[in-house]
Amino acid sequence: MSSTKFESYFQVFRDILRAMHFSTSVKEVLDVVVTKSSEVLNAKGALLRILNRETNQFEVGAGFGMGKRYLHKGPVTTEKLLPDPRELHKVIIITDIWNAPRVEYPQQAWDEGIRMMLDVPMAIEDKLIGLIRIYLEKHREFTDDELEFILTVAEQCTCIIERVQLIENQQTHFDHLATQMDKMSSLGRMAAGIAHEINNPLTGILLFSSNMSKKVEAGGPLEEGLQIIIKETQRCKTIIQGLLDFARDREPQKKPTDINTIIESAQGVVVNEFRLRRVTIENQLAADMVDTLLDNNQIQQVLINLLLNALQAVEENGRVTVRSAVDSEQNSISVEIADNGCGIVTDDFKTIFEPFFSTKAKGTGLGLAISYGIVKNHQGNIQVFSEPGQGTHFTIHLPILVEKSNGRETT
Amino acid sequence: MKPRRILVIDDERVICDACRLVLSEKGHTVALKTTGREGLRAIQQGDFDIVLLDMKLPDIDGMEILKAVREEKPGLCVLVMTGYSIMSNAVQAMKLGAADYLSKPFTDDELITAVEKACISL
Repeated sequence: MSSTKFESYFQVFRDILRAMHFSTSVKEVLDVVVTKSSEVLNAKGALLRILNRETNQFEVGAGFGMGKRYLHKGPVTTEKLLPDPRELHKVIIITDIWNAPRVEYPQQAWDEGIRMMLDVPMAIEDKLIGLIRIYLEKHREFTDDELEFILTVAEQCTCIIERVQLIENQQTHFDHLATQMDKMSSLGRMAAGIAHEINNPLTGILLFSSNMSKKVEAGGPLEEGLQIIIKETQRCKTIIQGLLDFARDREPQKKPTDINTIIESAQGVVVNEFRLRRVTIENQLAADMVDTLLDNNQIQQVLINLLLNALQAVEENGRVTVRSAVDSEQNSISVEIADNGCGIVTDDFKTIFEPFFSTKAKGTGLGLAISYGIVKNHQGNIQVFSEPGQGTHFTIHLPILVEKSNGRETT
Repeated sequence: MKPRRILVIDDERVICDACRLVLSEKGHTVALKTTGREGLRAIQQGDFDIVLLDMKLPDIDGMEILKAVREEKPGLCVLVMTGYSIMSNAVQAMKLGAADYLSKPFTDDELITAVEKACISL
């Protein structure tokens, strides 16, 4: 390879890397890849197909220098794009466009002045994630060094695209969580108002019905009806209380605490319910657990919520496992509550942390929403993995925080 | 139990009526006021043993009325009623001299117990 050619390749390489540093959009990166690779090879244009992981088909992600109809080509499968897996790490050179099986519309290409094509697979290990087709108007020779270089550039692009895709996915995930938090805080503000407005009429109902229940025949149908009114009114009170707890959004009162002790105290609260249902709790608590700043009551509430959810999910004789761990590399601790129960239906996954979402007959749908808020207030996060019929794992990650002498928190 | 004179201040007429029903059946004399202003005037002019006071009134805040009671009628026993069920609210009311609190909604028995407890200290 001549030094000038090498220099221009190097330039392209640098441009693509630079584009990646400034871009968190996959589309932008793909555009740079097709533009630069066409330029450096003095080609008429290029087309990049990229794997859509949902459909497992390759869609046109970017094009340069070619007619619009190229951009509107439909998705294709791996088998069609690269039938021979041995070609995964090779540049495929098409010199005879009329007779190459890879070329679908030779007439069209010929009419546009195309005489030669290069197919550059974009692969990570043994997985094809895209393909760049470069269209040349003249036949020319490519040295092995040159091809090697093209492949290296493609490989780097692949890594970049993978990373940018990951960033994009995380962004979407984050946006979803952010709107959820927004929804919750506005709901919180509303909750206090609703609570007041509803508690007033409930007071009238409860006072009159409880007073009346003593004036009717004991054990008669009227008394029974009044008792139901009393009980249901008190149930409303409980729901509103839950809503208020959720709405209050208290700042956590944090103290250096060993989370293992909170796990044990939370289990103490629910142990009877577990025993009644003959569900065993197995603890695998980290012996090397370290103290971190936690609001004892709030974290206990989270753990109780998760334990009761797990209990709800398992049948009699089920098993709930609680694990705690220290990740000194991430400077965080984690608690995992795993059950071997019914799992979460895929449709429910997006909504489980939303207020008022419940699958329990008598649930208020606030347990997970409150837990989510508490963990977020501890700068932590809560993750859920579930498979219907297999069970559910909830994992809470919390940063290891120590109190500085000035009362501020630090990691 | 000795009959007492009780003043109920709540802007909800239904709550006032319900309290009167429950308490008068126990032999107490009950007066009702539905605004803070009227309630405060009744406290200043009347001669009550116990006041049942709603914390959220349209004109004068319940806390303001508590402060006024502490200054003008320090011996008067006040039971506050709160609709927010927020403890800090009740705690603040107790600090301002309230004898006890009832979190809405409450049953007749809860109301009677609170009044009886207050009567003991009278």
